[in-house]
Amino acid sequence: MNRKNFRRFWARVLIFVAVLGPGIITANVDNDAGGIYTYSAAGAKYGFSLLWTLIPITVALIIVQEMVGRMGVVTGKGLADLIREEYGFRTTFILMVLLIITDLGNTVSEFAGLASGMSVFHMSRYVAVPLGAILVWLLVVKGSYRYVEKVFLAACVIYIAYPVSCFLARPDWTGALVSTVKPSFHLTSGYLYMLIGLVGTTIAPWMQFYLQSAVVEKGVKLKDYLYSRLDVVVGCIITDVVAFFIIVACAGTIYISGNREIRDAADAALALGPLAGHAASALFAVGLCNASLFSACILPLATAYYVCEGLGLESGINKRFNEAPAFYWLYTSLIFLGMLAVVALKESQQVPIILLSQVANGILLPFVVIFMLQLTNRKDIMGEYRNSRFFNVIAWITCIVMVALTLLLLVSSFFPDKLPAA
Amino acid sequence: MIYFTELQHLPMYGVKGEFLGHLEDVCVDPSQNPTRVAAYLVRTPKKLLQCITYEQIQSLSVRAGQTTVPRDGVRCYAPDEAMIHIKKDVLDQQIIDVDNRKAVRVNDVDFDIEPSDGHTELRVVAVNVGLAAAVRRLLQGTMAKHRIRMLTDLLPNAPILWEFVNLIEPDPARRLKLRISYDRLAKLHPADLADILEELSHNEQKAVIESLDHETAAQALSEIPTKMQADLLESIAPEKAADIVEEMPPDEAADVLNQLPPETSAELLADMDKDDAREVRGLLGFEENTAGAIMTTECVFVHETATVEGAIEALKSYEGPIEAVNHIYLIGKDATLSGAVPVARIVLSPASTPLRELSAETPISVQAQEDARSVVDLFHKYNLLSLPVVDEDNHLLGVVTADDVLELVINRK
Repeated sequence: MNRKNFRRFWARVLIFVAVLGPGIITANVDNDAGGIYTYSAAGAKYGFSLLWTLIPITVALIIVQEMVGRMGVVTGKGLADLIREEYGFRTTFILMVLLIITDLGNTVSEFAGLASGMSVFHMSRYVAVPLGAILVWLLVVKGSYRYVEKVFLAACVIYIAYPVSCFLARPDWTGALVSTVKPSFHLTSGYLYMLIGLVGTTIAPWMQFYLQSAVVEKGVKLKDYLYSRLDVVVGCIITDVVAFFIIVACAGTIYISGNREIRDAADAALALGPLAGHAASALFAVGLCNASLFSACILPLATAYYVCEGLGLESGINKRFNEAPAFYWLYTSLIFLGMLAVVALKESQQVPIILLSQVANGILLPFVVIFMLQLTNRKDIMGEYRNSRFFNVIAWITCIVMVALTLLLLVSSFFPDKLPAA
Repeated sequence: MIYFTELQHLPMYGVKGEFLGHLEDVCVDPSQNPTRVAAYLVRTPKKLLQCITYEQIQSLSVRAGQTTVPRDGVRCYAPDEAMIHIKKDVLDQQIIDVDNRKAVRVNDVDFDIEPSDGHTELRVVAVNVGLAAAVRRLLQGTMAKHRIRMLTDLLPNAPILWEFVNLIEPDPARRLKLRISYDRLAKLHPADLADILEELSHNEQKAVIESLDHETAAQALSEIPTKMQADLLESIAPEKAADIVEEMPPDEAADVLNQLPPETSAELLADMDKDDAREVRGLLGFEENTAGAIMTTECVFVHETATVEGAIEALKSYEGPIEAVNHIYLIGKDATLSGAVPVARIVLSPASTPLRELSAETPISVQAQEDARSVVDLFHKYNLLSLPVVDEDNHLLGVVTADDVLELVINRK
């Protein structure tokens, strides 16, 4: 590499670092408490046999996220804004109500994750969860969130514990790799439920809204779009690489041990045993708490943002409470209700909330995806950055499969005994 | 008063009472009349889009529209870019509310029904952004119109008069056809304008900046974050960008040029007026976050032997923003700084007083390479409004003013 090329190379690296962020942050928020538990349970209960789903999930995730990233760069508008402008007030309103419900469910699971993580340190959930909620609320309202975001992101390095633990556990690597590329299928309710859960926890509607807004806020320019696309793709791959190692680590430790049920953080932490020994629980708990708090910061805030955006209400943390009342009330209620559900309800009583959130998710996702596909095909909106026909075919197939799985999840949540038993 | 939500899907009838179709959109032709609805677009049962002109409307109500044309006399609609389509261009779009100085999203549009010789006209009165309008949109078509009215009359209404509405049209050709002018925006305070700009998407910001005069554009740009300034300047035509940068205070101009890719900022400097470009170039040489990078080169200075009269002459011939001047600087041999006189003292002294008598012994100054923190400390310690910046040999280079310091402090937080 001569000097000029080297300089050009560095210039490219710098641009990439500058536009980097939205995709990678979305990816890490995606690996939240719900994600970690689902991956752990998948590995613990079914060993390697769900690994193959990760490749199609990654492809689907990349396709969906790339579309919104592109829309953000080309139009400079958020997804909620675009839907409002093209599909009118009522449609937007209904979507936003569904979005609030799914995100409330997600917030509940973040605080549940926090409670579960802190229980390892013998801290009662009645203390841990309200403290966490107050911390999250203050961080955002007092405006120090931007700095803290970097701390959370840095703390995500803790996921490296999984690959290390994996290697130390000496799992059957050949088996793992073969299972990753060779689909296998069991028509049992448990397996199906887990499979759909994997898809659902990895591809969620808030991610599309969040990514597009984040790309817009970052002010990524058209000529830098390639770097932004790279950021999105890398982010999606990170999500699933983390998932891969969590599954393999759990398969290599918990699945093999024969006691395959994960009931609490201590059970899930066994996967980190080969690395951390007795400290495994603590290590797992720190990772879980970090993931929970990170997502608990971003999810309610982002929800308040796009709901207000779409409905044309004042929003933004740089505004005062009385300037943007709807924004602050929505944000505060999401955190408060999320906290309340975890503190006041028993786990069995939280089920209806999670179920409701899944229902909302199941209705929301097809609409969001179909709107996205329509919008990214509009010449007056996307110009020369419209989807190519090839892309459209893949995207439609992805979307149909995704929507079918989500609807299947809905059906199976309401009629768990209709499917053949495990 | 009738709302667009009530007009939408209104059944329209021909001269003999035959059904024509449902109303889909109404259009205003700004070149004819800025408020009158000039055309009514009707969707026929066969899904054709037809156009009825305003003279052909006999009567209109929330129940139906009666026209004076026979069914086979209605012509098909040919898309017309020079008309404002209320549904397509206004409803659900972001507009600028000039009266309240913010960007808002339109929930509904209010019309007046006015009889005019032999026909009935609709006039746009206001756009509506409030809760009542939102509820109307939600309930539209689900229950009888008078019920909806009864309900929404109880809710707070937030109309913005049509004359205070500024549409944002990113396409310059269409902007011209629609006669969208930003005269009203130019009258806003630049800081308010900047707040509005920050709410808009990139293309919309570009549309607004492109249609403002250079001076207003420069003032508004100076108030938005530097990165956003750079993105905007990079996307508009280079000559226009150069004109705008020329009008910006030199320190702001230098900041934004520093953010641009080197080729772009060189191009802009080359397009700028030579004197302005020289001033800005001088500022570009300083490292970020030093006194030199913060200061502006616009200041008033006279020779140390000058009198009050001379100082007033210097003020009169000063071309920069006069509000920011609170000291006149004295310079001696080789343009070295030798004193500073508050403007208030000059005003209160007889014309023949030598300025040196009014000046402090050794004026407080800062060296150009000192970092921003020590500038803030000096302002705090000595309660300054402005601080002269000098080089190692005490040559006067420029001034840091209180507004620059305020920005430093706020951004650091």
